[in-house]
Amino acid sequence: MSTGTQTKPRGGGSIDVRYVNPFIEAIDNVFTTMLDLKPQRQTLRICPSEATGPQLTSIIGISGHIHGVVALRFPPDAAKALAGRFTGIVPTEVNDEVIDAVAELVNMVAGNAKAKLDMDPPLQLGLPTVVEGTGYRLKYPTGAAWLEVPFESEAGSFCMEITYSAE
Amino acid sequence: MKALVVDDSMTIRRIVIKALGMVGIQDTVEAADGTEALSAVNEQDFDVILLDWNMPKLTGIDTLRSIRKAGKTVPVIMVTTEAEKSRVIEAIKAGANDYLIKPFAPDQLAAKVKNAVPAATP
Repeated sequence: MSTGTQTKPRGGGSIDVRYVNPFIEAIDNVFTTMLDLKPQRQTLRICPSEATGPQLTSIIGISGHIHGVVALRFPPDAAKALAGRFTGIVPTEVNDEVIDAVAELVNMVAGNAKAKLDMDPPLQLGLPTVVEGTGYRLKYPTGAAWLEVPFESEAGSFCMEITYSAE
Repeated sequence: MKALVVDDSMTIRRIVIKALGMVGIQDTVEAADGTEALSAVNEQDFDVILLDWNMPKLTGIDTLRSIRKAGKTVPVIMVTTEAEKSRVIEAIKAGANDYLIKPFAPDQLAAKVKNAVPAATP
């Protein structure tokens, strides 16, 4: 894993990267099936302590044998382009359609990944939330590290951020 | 033919409605959660219901149980991210006619609807 030069571990805990693969596979499955896109994964890294520029982040909580958060972070143009892939019309602004589209994306990615993890009882998903703003960062109270998985796609770049603790 | 499309995501509702059009179902009613769905079911008759699982207010599985408890036999297809085998079994036991896991391609949904509602035609 490359930590890069500008990166700084958040939380300071550890994370088992074996659990990350189902989420990476889920990105491929969801984007290919629903959006006809094949995102190219970039180098996995510890999250930067703060992302810069305007961004739209869809977040969903996971609970059960592992608990944590999965988030998809998009620049506004990428979020609009992805929403357009769903509906056939690219929105000109970040409106309710865009918010709904990115919320559903993280919902499907988390759902697909939890099925691959196949725990008994099944992991539980919360309802997705979307945050819009500039220069914020996500936090989760366990102190576990955050991993960031960047992707490049025809619709633009985006990142998956993930943190969790296992029982 | 009339379908009830229940999902808290308007994006998914649009995709489902588009897929329903592939089997000739143009008359659709949308509900964003289980309580809206039950209201619609109490007021109207539907030929098929497409039902999400994870929704605010009332989950899809509890909505399904309420529909069956009320004696409604309308075909219900769960359309959900809940993909574990135990979830599928739970839904079938609760009275689901079929189960489609998100993500899905529109033609997959169309095939499920066609199977549940043979009168649906392309």
